[in-house]
Amino acid sequence: MKQLTICAVLVIAAIALPLLIGNNPYLIGILITLLMMATLASAWNIVGGYAGQFSFGHAAYFGAGAYTTMILLSLFNTNPLVGMAAGIGVACLIALVTGSIVFRLRGHYFALASIAVAEIVRLTVLNLGFTGGAQGILLTDVPFFGLDLNSKSPFYYGMLLTLVVTLGITAYLRKSKTGYYLQAIREDQDAAASLGINVALYKNRALLLSAVLTSIAGSIYALYIRFIDTSAVLDLRLSIEIILTTIIGGVGTLWGPLLGAVLLVPLAEVLRSNLLGDTLFRLGVVSESSPVGIFLKDGLAHGHVLVYGIITVLCILYLPKGILGLFRRGK
Amino acid sequence: MSGHLLHIDHVSKHFGGNVAVSEVSFSVDKKQIFGLIGPNGAGKTTLFNCITGYYPVTSGQIAFNGSSINNRRPDQVCRLGMARTWQRVKPLCSLSVLENVMVGAFASTNSPRKAEAFARDQLTAVGLDDHAGKPAGSLPIGLKKKLELARVLATRPKMLLLDEICGGLNHTETEIILEIIRKLRSSGITIVFIEHDMRAVTSICDRIVVLNSGQKLAEGTPAEITSNPAVIAAYLGGGHNAQD
Repeated sequence: MKQLTICAVLVIAAIALPLLIGNNPYLIGILITLLMMATLASAWNIVGGYAGQFSFGHAAYFGAGAYTTMILLSLFNTNPLVGMAAGIGVACLIALVTGSIVFRLRGHYFALASIAVAEIVRLTVLNLGFTGGAQGILLTDVPFFGLDLNSKSPFYYGMLLTLVVTLGITAYLRKSKTGYYLQAIREDQDAAASLGINVALYKNRALLLSAVLTSIAGSIYALYIRFIDTSAVLDLRLSIEIILTTIIGGVGTLWGPLLGAVLLVPLAEVLRSNLLGDTLFRLGVVSESSPVGIFLKDGLAHGHVLVYGIITVLCILYLPKGILGLFRRGK
Repeated sequence: MSGHLLHIDHVSKHFGGNVAVSEVSFSVDKKQIFGLIGPNGAGKTTLFNCITGYYPVTSGQIAFNGSSINNRRPDQVCRLGMARTWQRVKPLCSLSVLENVMVGAFASTNSPRKAEAFARDQLTAVGLDDHAGKPAGSLPIGLKKKLELARVLATRPKMLLLDEICGGLNHTETEIILEIIRKLRSSGITIVFIEHDMRAVTSICDRIVVLNSGQKLAEGTPAEITSNPAVIAAYLGGGHNAQD
């Protein structure tokens, strides 16, 4: 009951937030990215955290949502919601094909094979005509029930809703038969099978669910940015960022992925906008032309993935249960 | 085939050129406690893995409750009513003791509440109720063995295959497990168990099959087995009295 109250307060706060920050497009932009990464990490967590199947190919499902929505819009002017539904269909198809082949493999082999499938999807999209190839797809006008899509707030609320649904599903799942079965598979596949669990079936269910949620986030992202190409929505880098966000926050926990996004997205923004360097320059601590200054300005600004990497290594070494594990020492 | 709950008919399992199990046949009747013994490498666990669907057999037939289970997956075998434990225990370490047993209980219900209630009954049956909330990985080996037992019982089996359930336990712990096994039999569960502890086997089994180098060496009552010269030579070491 107490948890439910906290959740309600969080959701209301999240709904009110855009009104409080007065439609500052820069801040809302960061918040949308934050909600998106939280959604992607939470969706990945279902198959990666609970079922323990480390998929390195989730960009494929994100890209499936993004590309299907955009292609249908640009070619047939399809309603974005229909595009989103079609994107879910494509993501499910990729997940089913991936699952039926790749789930025969275990552990590291599964991780490697999932990269291979995602790369096949990326290279296919890159080399086809109707996907825009290397140029990607740019749309200037998106019709949506007369809603003003030039404002960012509809996307903020769309992402928020997707995140709430994803977390809701995870919360339900973890106390359900399916949730226990997924965790049993993660802990020991042979033991799970000996207890009557159809291991392949439950792995595939987890992957499908994860793929659907990931693809919805992909569709909303594409409509929000209105420009997609393979390096933005189908890259291995995206898959890895999703995994790192989950691991740093707390893999296999309900709130870990959200916590990871809350910590990492603003951090990435600070690094990208060189906030640290600018502050130090302004305070006169570091000269802009000194080697440290040059590093801060040119190196670190592009280095948020490096910083993610360092944090991940530290987490794996010292906080195997993620940042969330810090607060749960007693348990 | 009727009357037999499990019927093994000329089962062989080869790994490449290695013959792990060769032309083994036996039948287990309902409510029997059936012992499968033999020296290390005799093929006992391999045979268990064949029966429970982890290995496909090279040749031969395995029938459970009157129907062939040759090509069944492990989870299907479990749902038919044949559950197994593992020689090297396989607790679901990050889950609690209760949750481990709940996973087994979900074989017959979708409701977490019913699964929990049934799981608690099983924990009581094996004497683990005081440890329900602990992480399974934190239990000592004796309790892990009990957890294995509670977990497979939660799947409501007709037959239990126990792979060295007493292995690594001291005399007192072994007695406790044997007492549980006797109770299970009187509740109607058929038991096949692999064991090294001769005293445990002879005190509890109705019938025993001895495997040696993948082949069936002997079959009979505990008294017949312990006085069989071939068994004494191959398994217990030549010249000694098996009862020692």
